Amino acid sequence: MTTLAPFTNEPVLELRRASERTKLADGLRELRLPLQVPVWIGDEQRFGEEIVSTDPGRPERVVAVAARATPAEADAAVATARAAFGAWAATPVGERAAALLRAAAWMRERRASLAALAVRECAKPWTESDADVCEAIDFLEFYARGALELQDEESAAPAGAQLLQVPGERNALRYVPRGVCAVIAPWNFPLAIPTGMTAAALATGNTVVLKPAEQAPGCGLRVVEALRAGGVPPDAIALLPGEGEAGAALASNPDVATIAFTGSQPVGLELLRTAAQPKDDARQLTRVVAEMGGKNCIIVDSDADLDEAIPAIIDSAFHYAGQKCSAAARVLVHEALHDALVERLAGAVAGLQVGPADEFETDVPPVIEHEAQERVQHYAAIAAETGEIVTGGPEVPADGWYVAPVIATGLPPDSRLLREEIFGPLLTVEPVRDVDEAMERIDALPVALTGGLFSRNPRTVQRVIDRSPVGNLYINRATTGAMVGRQPFGGNRLSGTGTKAGGHDYLLHFVEPRVVTENTVRHGLVV
Amino acid sequence: MGPSASLESDIRRVGTALFEAFPSHRGNPLKALDDRAMDLAAQDAELRAALFRFVDVVPACRSLDDLAAHLTSFLGEIDEQPPSLRAAMRMGDTKAGRAALGAAGAAGVRHMAHRFIVGEDPQAALPVLRRLWRDGIAASVDLLGEATVTAQEADRYAARCAGALETLAGAYAQMDAQPLLERDASGPLPRANLSVKVSALTPLLRPEAPARGQRDAAPRLRALLRQAKELGAHLHIDMESLDSREAVLELVLNLLAEPEFADGPSAGVVLQAYLRDSPQTLDTILASAQQTRRAQPLVVRLVKGAYWDHEVVEARQHGWSVPVFERKADCDANFEALTARLLEARPLLRVAIASHNLRSVAHAIARNELLGGAPGDVEFQVLRGLGDDLGQALAASGLRVRSYCPVGDLVAGMAYLVRRLLENTANESFLADQAQGVPVAQLLAAPEASLS
Repeated sequence: MTTLAPFTNEPVLELRRASERTKLADGLRELRLPLQVPVWIGDEQRFGEEIVSTDPGRPERVVAVAARATPAEADAAVATARAAFGAWAATPVGERAAALLRAAAWMRERRASLAALAVRECAKPWTESDADVCEAIDFLEFYARGALELQDEESAAPAGAQLLQVPGERNALRYVPRGVCAVIAPWNFPLAIPTGMTAAALATGNTVVLKPAEQAPGCGLRVVEALRAGGVPPDAIALLPGEGEAGAALASNPDVATIAFTGSQPVGLELLRTAAQPKDDARQLTRVVAEMGGKNCIIVDSDADLDEAIPAIIDSAFHYAGQKCSAAARVLVHEALHDALVERLAGAVAGLQVGPADEFETDVPPVIEHEAQERVQHYAAIAAETGEIVTGGPEVPADGWYVAPVIATGLPPDSRLLREEIFGPLLTVEPVRDVDEAMERIDALPVALTGGLFSRNPRTVQRVIDRSPVGNLYINRATTGAMVGRQPFGGNRLSGTGTKAGGHDYLLHFVEPRVVTENTVRHGLVV
Repeated sequence: MGPSASLESDIRRVGTALFEAFPSHRGNPLKALDDRAMDLAAQDAELRAALFRFVDVVPACRSLDDLAAHLTSFLGEIDEQPPSLRAAMRMGDTKAGRAALGAAGAAGVRHMAHRFIVGEDPQAALPVLRRLWRDGIAASVDLLGEATVTAQEADRYAARCAGALETLAGAYAQMDAQPLLERDASGPLPRANLSVKVSALTPLLRPEAPARGQRDAAPRLRALLRQAKELGAHLHIDMESLDSREAVLELVLNLLAEPEFADGPSAGVVLQAYLRDSPQTLDTILASAQQTRRAQPLVVRLVKGAYWDHEVVEARQHGWSVPVFERKADCDANFEALTARLLEARPLLRVAIASHNLRSVAHAIARNELLGGAPGDVEFQVLRGLGDDLGQALAASGLRVRSYCPVGDLVAGMAYLVRRLLENTANESFLADQAQGVPVAQLLAAPEASLS
């Protein structure tokens, strides 16, 4: 068995040191834009100009110019991946893992430049873009090791593969790849999430067609470049920049064995519906690994330390302008602390700096696109009409898709703002009688991604742990920033298929178990 | 005998004398009881954790019942409970029992708080400050409070600081002369002395964007410097975690370089010896002092550093190299090296040695003598409630001592209290060693730095 050092997270840059900040600024200065992003199937590249990604903080700045894949190209990509599947699946897992590790090394050498691209293309501020690159590297390193554990025949069999053995028969369970995996990725973790889903599929021996978000084709290009530079055969990883049409074509292609999706709930549910209705000529059930949205709540009990809770809530709700599926959307606070918390939160929001992602001083960058800006502003208008907006709001630059961060209170219990995912810098605060009432409101939601609790009573903490439906619960800290190998991430209920990216069982969704039983008795002798 | 052997023998001599000057507590049963409680906590990690968590949450509890619920909840996590704790747990079963337990718990914490916090506000602190001054001990007042997360809170803290400067300057002006505390080789020393935290003067300290917090804190800090200058008071800017070091140090050095502050006030910064790169930080301070010739030399308070756990945890969580020394002996050796450099940098700087480590203090005294300094040419600082005995011993030995005195709401000051308690009961603490009767020769042994 290939032996590797145990997994450790790629350290984020120590940006409190000026020398480290300089590295990133240099990366941005050396970035040559716009990138040209082709439909890239095998060794064929078709360039085009149908999709243009721009800097959300300066929409006239073009970051990448991409071809838009047609349904025919989607089918061609799947056909190529299908043809390449046998060879890649037969490649020893040690070699597949080595290719992912070389891809990780490729990214590690280009950390500043990759972070700079995420800053430009997705307006992800420096600390978070740097963390995004690190997470991409983490996924490659983590799943390479995971595949070795799962599939290397010389490694100790994973717990699920240990079978009862009796005399006269030999039982073996092994995990084999499923086939072609269509990866449909979001823009908010423009490097980490496409890399993670793709790496999980490739590590276990599947071939991949990657459709990056139309807002982030440049980052998608870098992911595929890294994997190919690492030695993944060109036919085993296709890049399919495109929009909904390409995604729909992938979803309905019977040769797609697995769909790995991270994105909005409507799209995810549609993928699940399509997959649940196999066509007459289907030869395989399509499996969907889906990570969708949430309506993430933080409970603040009466014994919470507000000095700690406030910065953590601000981070959770407003960093990256609230555009993370893990971001906090609702605070449910004990009525005794409600007024004090609202006053201090409002004061803290007033001090937030809204500005371009490439400035280290920025707290709240622009949202991803004009449509998102309008959506958040629309919700803010509803909040103003049906409740109260307690934040004067810091100044917002005129150019770019900026939205002022907002805290809303006094909303009616049936308000849309307490139910719908806004995906922007808008946080609601509501008083509750006690933690139990908060848990009832949370339990009433159909989504269950992340949650938070601020309490210093171990009994309260245990009660919330026991009742909480969410996939990731955070106690006395921010609800964002899950780390590979430390906080396997994913939601329950309508938030996702219960799969945990960056966790040990994630790879099981990309394989199927096969059991072989051999009779070892010949003419009464065990041979 | 080489110079280092002679220094070592000087250290043993002054250290032993200092140790013998420590006051005895045989006549003070209350103090002895406190010390015993601290010992108990020091010996049992689980009990210590439970007590700290209780102290930490007391301000947020809304009733005696609530207090008792928290206390029993923490104590319930201790695996092997001594009989006294089991009795406390049983009290938690009835409402009357909880009221009694909550009241006792709150009273206990309040009692401990009084030991560390000299008053609810500067006015209320004056009796203690006057007594200290009469006993030959100056003070630096530190205003406790909740964290600053809004501009209004920063303004409120700045206003409290301004009020404290007024009160202190007025009160100290009335006190009798204490020649040792009021002048050194560089000239007169202000009596009133306030320590401030930049993290309380702005909610905008960001590790990756130091300039932002600097810009926001600068007007508030500038106003305090002006006022200190007017009142002839000393303003000391505390250092906190490494996340804010660049912001704080640059801010202070830049402000002090402004022309209006060339002739005052007396001001100071802090150097944290537990940081591996503290020698470079001292280079920065020295270069600035060299360039900015101010009428009153910059005071550098040398400390070990109070955020050791935080620095280690943060570095480990992020996969960074740990910025602090992880061996106590390495930190102690660095403390002595920095002490030497600071003392040699006089009169460009004034030096305050803030340590409860007998060896570090004795080393500074001996080094000062070796350099031909008068006893008053170096200041020693101790923490109120923890270093009182050392402070008295230093004062009795004719040295210049200042006690760092937290002032503020007893309840809101609990976070401070927890940190001080942690320090007192931590492993390898001189105070704990001393309490357990470690021989003085061992307390005075030279730190053996690891080879690096």
